[in-house]
Amino acid sequence: MAAVITPVIEEYAGGTIAREQVGLWRDGFRRLRRNRLALVALIYLTILFLVAIVAIFWTPYNPATILPNTLTFLPPSAQHLLGTDDLGRDLLSRMMQGAQISLIVGVGTSAIVLTVGVVVGLIAGYFRGWIDGVISVFINIFYGIPGILIAIILYLVLGKGLGNIMIAISATAWMDMARLVRGQAFSIREREYIEAARASGARSGKILFGHILPNALGPIIVQATFVIPIAILTEAFLSYLGLGIPSPLASWGSIASEGYTALPLEPFMMLWPAIALSVTLLAFNFLGDGLRDAFDPRQRR
Amino acid sequence: MLTRGTLIYIAQRLALIAFTLVAVSFLVFITVHSLPGSAFESERVHGKALQLLLHEYGLDRPVLVQYWSFLTNAIRGNLGVSFQIRGLPITPLVMRELSVSAELGGTALLITIGLGTTFGVLAALRQNTWVDYTLTSIAVVGYSVPSFVLAGLGVLIFSYWLPTVTNGVISYPAIWTGTYGTLVELSLPAIILGFYTSGQVTRITRAAMLEVLQQDYIRTARAKGLKSRIVTVRHALRNALIPVISILGPLVISIITGSVIIETIFGIPGLGKEFVESITAADYNITVAVFTVYALLIGIANLIVDLLYTVVDPRIRY
Repeated sequence: MAAVITPVIEEYAGGTIAREQVGLWRDGFRRLRRNRLALVALIYLTILFLVAIVAIFWTPYNPATILPNTLTFLPPSAQHLLGTDDLGRDLLSRMMQGAQISLIVGVGTSAIVLTVGVVVGLIAGYFRGWIDGVISVFINIFYGIPGILIAIILYLVLGKGLGNIMIAISATAWMDMARLVRGQAFSIREREYIEAARASGARSGKILFGHILPNALGPIIVQATFVIPIAILTEAFLSYLGLGIPSPLASWGSIASEGYTALPLEPFMMLWPAIALSVTLLAFNFLGDGLRDAFDPRQRR
Repeated sequence: MLTRGTLIYIAQRLALIAFTLVAVSFLVFITVHSLPGSAFESERVHGKALQLLLHEYGLDRPVLVQYWSFLTNAIRGNLGVSFQIRGLPITPLVMRELSVSAELGGTALLITIGLGTTFGVLAALRQNTWVDYTLTSIAVVGYSVPSFVLAGLGVLIFSYWLPTVTNGVISYPAIWTGTYGTLVELSLPAIILGFYTSGQVTRITRAAMLEVLQQDYIRTARAKGLKSRIVTVRHALRNALIPVISILGPLVISIITGSVIIETIFGIPGLGKEFVESITAADYNITVAVFTVYALLIGIANLIVDLLYTVVDPRIRY
């Protein structure tokens, strides 16, 4: 016992009563480590990312080729670990490609939303006035309109493609981010250190990105994480309806859709994307909850 | 109850809904009409014949003029005509589909609220026991698993793995007879849609119930010797339901989004299925009409929710 107490006393004697200085990231990750559920989610997602990266260079078979001499709807076997689909394509390869597409869409959309939402939100919250008025009216019009329906219409106009699907989903998703950042900027701009920065002659750009943004980073990171499962779900939703990723590219949504059609013949085909989608969305939600507790303790539920 | 302030508030909100409808329908109209193709493309009409056809439907006019005539007609309750089924008036079609969607969505909403509040209350009363953990896990699964995955699994379980249990009434592919289907046909899609959104209700009810159970008046009620069931229902549950009303708006939105895919999967002739079909068939008048109806529904739902608030919680006044 004494051995534990001694260094504490020494520390006080040295005058370092204040807590050791840690940055936002280290502090956040230290708290995240204690959340077991978020940690499990993080491990799963890391594996999923690795699978998606491996799929760039190697898949057991070509996910798009209809294999010669292969029967359709093969159950899982040593040759085809997850079986084959309605056209005799290897399902494991298609699932790996699906993981890649889900993650690209999820992370890509999150990046677009982050960029647009942060810039627009900062401008609206910092400059206020008519700019804020216009932006707020625009965001309020779309408040409550289902984003998926907007994404369907927009994707149709933009044309098929991975980039366009991300733009279509971002079209409404940036608004929540902008609303959040605007609120943060609104309150942070009144703090004394912003006044001090302005008094010492800092330009608006410097204040926005050098002072306000870093202090709002916690909630922004959390929000950006929650955009990923929404984007993955929307992409799967569109692909399921046949309005998403063009074939022969495999998406979990389109595999699930083809699997549903083939249900009486082969239940496995629908089961794989169903499991993959559910677990991935669950993992992102757990990670988001964990990150909120770690980076944004005031919002803790 | 209907004070002057409330009436003014309602009028303001209605004006806001009208403004939102015009803005949203305008943006969707412009977006959809910027597409190069049209519903007539598949019919391979060219040259003069196509020109005539476009002229007949007023599609050769500038987009803004087209929108203006859409708007003025829509205010009079005329949402235009379909391209795909030449000249079919959209308003009666959409009204019929709206009633089908309302049947499905309404049932799903009842299931959501029933299931969610029951689960939430049970979880709160048995906090930190296996009951609590099981119910909150079900809630998390509910809002993380996509609705179409639930639909697929539901059909798989009931029609493929357990056909004897359900006596074969739930079949693959799903059947929907007539416009409104039968109760058995409605059950599976409504339960799936309701379960999908119930997780949010469970979560909110549980949190609200836990907070209410800490209040002094609950202790007072217990202290004066009321039965625990009466305390739970009359004192705790009533107050715990107030936050649940606040998520009714988002719930309606979730159910609308979910119904789009559930109706498509189960072949239910509602608004959601029409929305998807109109997009695939490039029948844009219907796309715009359905979208506008959705926006109207959501606006009204949010208004009703806010008014309900004043009814259940007299402390709130507008």
